Amino acid sequence: MKRSLYMGGLPGAMSRRGFLRACAIATAAMGLPMEMIPKVAEAASDPKRPSVVWLQFQECTGCSESLLRASHPDVATLILDLISLDYHETLMAAAGKQAEEDLDKAIEKGNYILVVEGGIPLKDGGVYCKIAGKTAVEILKRAAEKALAIISIGTCASYGGIQAARPNPTGAVGVSDIIKDKPIINVPGCPPNPENFLSTVLYYLTFKKLPPTDKFGRPLFAYGRKIHDHCERRPHFDEGRYVEQFGDVGHRLGFCLYKVGCKGPETYSNCPVIRFNDVEVWPVSVGNGCYGCTEPNFWDTMTPFHKRLPNVRIPGAGKGIQASATEIGKAALGVTAAALAIHAGVGIAKRLATGSKSEE
Amino acid sequence: MAVYEKKYVWSILLRLFHWTFAPSIFTLIVTGLYIHWPWTNTWLEGSHQFTMATMRWIHFIAGMLFTCAVLARLYLWFFGNKYERVWDFLPITGRNIKNLFSTLIYYAYLTDHHEERLGHNALAGTAYFFTILLAIVQFLTGLYLLYPEGSIFTSIGASLFGTQQEARFIHYILNWYFAWFAMVHIYIVIWNDIKHPEGLISSIFDGFKFAKKEQ
Repeated sequence: MKRSLYMGGLPGAMSRRGFLRACAIATAAMGLPMEMIPKVAEAASDPKRPSVVWLQFQECTGCSESLLRASHPDVATLILDLISLDYHETLMAAAGKQAEEDLDKAIEKGNYILVVEGGIPLKDGGVYCKIAGKTAVEILKRAAEKALAIISIGTCASYGGIQAARPNPTGAVGVSDIIKDKPIINVPGCPPNPENFLSTVLYYLTFKKLPPTDKFGRPLFAYGRKIHDHCERRPHFDEGRYVEQFGDVGHRLGFCLYKVGCKGPETYSNCPVIRFNDVEVWPVSVGNGCYGCTEPNFWDTMTPFHKRLPNVRIPGAGKGIQASATEIGKAALGVTAAALAIHAGVGIAKRLATGSKSEE
Repeated sequence: MAVYEKKYVWSILLRLFHWTFAPSIFTLIVTGLYIHWPWTNTWLEGSHQFTMATMRWIHFIAGMLFTCAVLARLYLWFFGNKYERVWDFLPITGRNIKNLFSTLIYYAYLTDHHEERLGHNALAGTAYFFTILLAIVQFLTGLYLLYPEGSIFTSIGASLFGTQQEARFIHYILNWYFAWFAMVHIYIVIWNDIKHPEGLISSIFDGFKFAKKEQ
């Protein structure tokens, strides 16, 4: 397989073991049974690689970066081996006029998957993001016309992201706000997990259709369940063991981050299960709450990031079951001690008054 | 016709103990069995309903009350009135050993003779004594399970019962003991209340029993 399109920095040929491993990870991430691994592998090794045009607009390249810098080299390699990446501004060797020609050629050929990274500004005719003299919205509309399907990678392409945060000075929106007549799938996150992107691509290659999505256009296999309900720190939430401030004893003991602003109870993503990079970490595992980056408008709705979410029910009278049971236990012990003291006091007083042991 | 008089037997503290102990046992058995076997259809995601957490919470609170009740009863073993003290009903005196066997025979319908006494009979007293001992084991295993990390109960539990799983096993088996005890207890007090005019059941509400007036 030729790698002329993108520059070095990536490991060379992928081993068979690595290939199958990446396929197995992606199959698991899609929630498919183990028997599907050969089918996924077959789709992934199809020599007819689908053409991919990767457009970048208002973005930080973090999505591409996280994909390529995944210390899991197999994922990046598999994605780049899986597809014929005909246009990607960061990775392509071509520049300037040559690069634009590549894009033109790819679009002319048609039948490609369009991947979009970054938000698209609409205000003032979309002048706030231009490439080769054309506005982002123009480029997107032109590229979308002949695309088989569109994958919005990252929260910016999905919902507008940080530039769409109030007051949204450039009028940025996500792809699905502009393109209405193409199958679009959102893989949000800031950045999204590369495994979820890989799984979306593999799903498409295996089944020739996009995976089922929720009402925000996210694949259900990756964004179908709440972070809170699969969080490794969830028992601490239930028991009432919280980090009260960063660096305190609870933080060192790995307690729940809800009180320092974790947005896990309101965020849908498979982060606690799939995790990131090769060292299997995710924000909560390293002691920082979830920011809710897979949710639409999270820059507006999830901030301030380190303030607790309102209206989240904590079991055990709002204190956590163990903490509140401890409190009630202490109170009950106090009442018992008082009752015993009264009993003893009355007994002693009686004996002092009568001067003898009472019979009963 | 026999004449009866009211006798004050059970102090307020003992009655408070009983009415904390009994409902807490009932609650602990129900919630404890749920924790052992969560039989409800809990397929909903956990954020909006906390069936297990709620059951555990109720179980913990009931356990706290249970523990306090046991502590109060322990105090009354030594500082209660003469019917409440432990040597009044333990088979450690000749009178009580005799009473233990005569009560057994009486309960087995082998004789109609029985000793009238105001406090516990020796059989009941012995059963309550061991129940309180088992209750201590139960709350110690419970506190060990509730505070499994770095507390005084961790070290007590580990040295007395071994691992968490061993403590859990003891805790679970004793749950059935208390269910059995509650059943037998309720049966026998009703049986006694039917057979005798002493007012056994009402005595745990108002503290008074009725004894034949010596004429």
